[in-house]
Amino acid sequence: MAITYRDPLEQLQRELDRMLESAFGSAGASAAGVYPPVNVFDTGEEYVIKAELPGVDPGKVEVNVENETVSFRGERTFDEPNRDVAYHRREREQGQFRRVVRIPGRLASETARAEYRDGVLTIRVPKAKETRPRRVEIQAD
Amino acid sequence: MCPSDIEARPKQKVERREESTRPGAYFHPAVDIFEAADELVLLADMPGVSPDSIDVNLEGDQVTIEGRVKPEDYEGLKPLHVEYGVGGFWRRFTLGEAIDREGIKAQIKGGVLALHLPKAERARARRITVQAS
Repeated sequence: MAITYRDPLEQLQRELDRMLESAFGSAGASAAGVYPPVNVFDTGEEYVIKAELPGVDPGKVEVNVENETVSFRGERTFDEPNRDVAYHRREREQGQFRRVVRIPGRLASETARAEYRDGVLTIRVPKAKETRPRRVEIQAD
Repeated sequence: MCPSDIEARPKQKVERREESTRPGAYFHPAVDIFEAADELVLLADMPGVSPDSIDVNLEGDQVTIEGRVKPEDYEGLKPLHVEYGVGGFWRRFTLGEAIDREGIKAQIKGGVLALHLPKAERARARRITVQAS
């Protein structure tokens, strides 16, 4: 019997690709045109907003959560080499960024948290209590 | 001077990697490569890649960088709104210089790989002073 190797990440990648394609066509997210692109996830209890921001000083990133909106802003700057160098390629960009993300539900903004790890900003905002999924017990005789 | 806004560029998916056994999507990292008198420096944006999940390989005159993201970072997350694909990073370069492979240094911090490739002694630029007669 063959054992199929299934990577849970691969499954998610397929789902992301499918959603990207339906939102932007095969060209990817270029239509969004705003830096940085964000992904929004739902865990049931909270919303998770992720953005890829490699090489950013987390101390210079400001995150705000208000009503149904999560926003963040900051700047990406590099130290230029302090010696004579010749550039072969220069693809990485510096500058300011700002994103405002509307979340389709009420947020418990006072318990939001944000972390920056390996160049990825992750903002977790719990849903307001009344909008969280609730299990309803069935009463039986 | 007021810094300008960063322009969004879609991530470039790697369509075909040679000799790959690992599943999943890979993207081309954006890179800066500069050359100093004694070394080549490569900086690559590889967000989500931690120090223990990166490989740098020098074979002949080709250097390959590969980084993987952690599936557990996405456990239990149901996508609601998607603007970018998630995956590893892979890119290969042909070096025009002979490299001293013993002296190669790589470190990744904040999702940026810094790869220092010291030039082999014979490839280093020699400064020749022109003497006035």
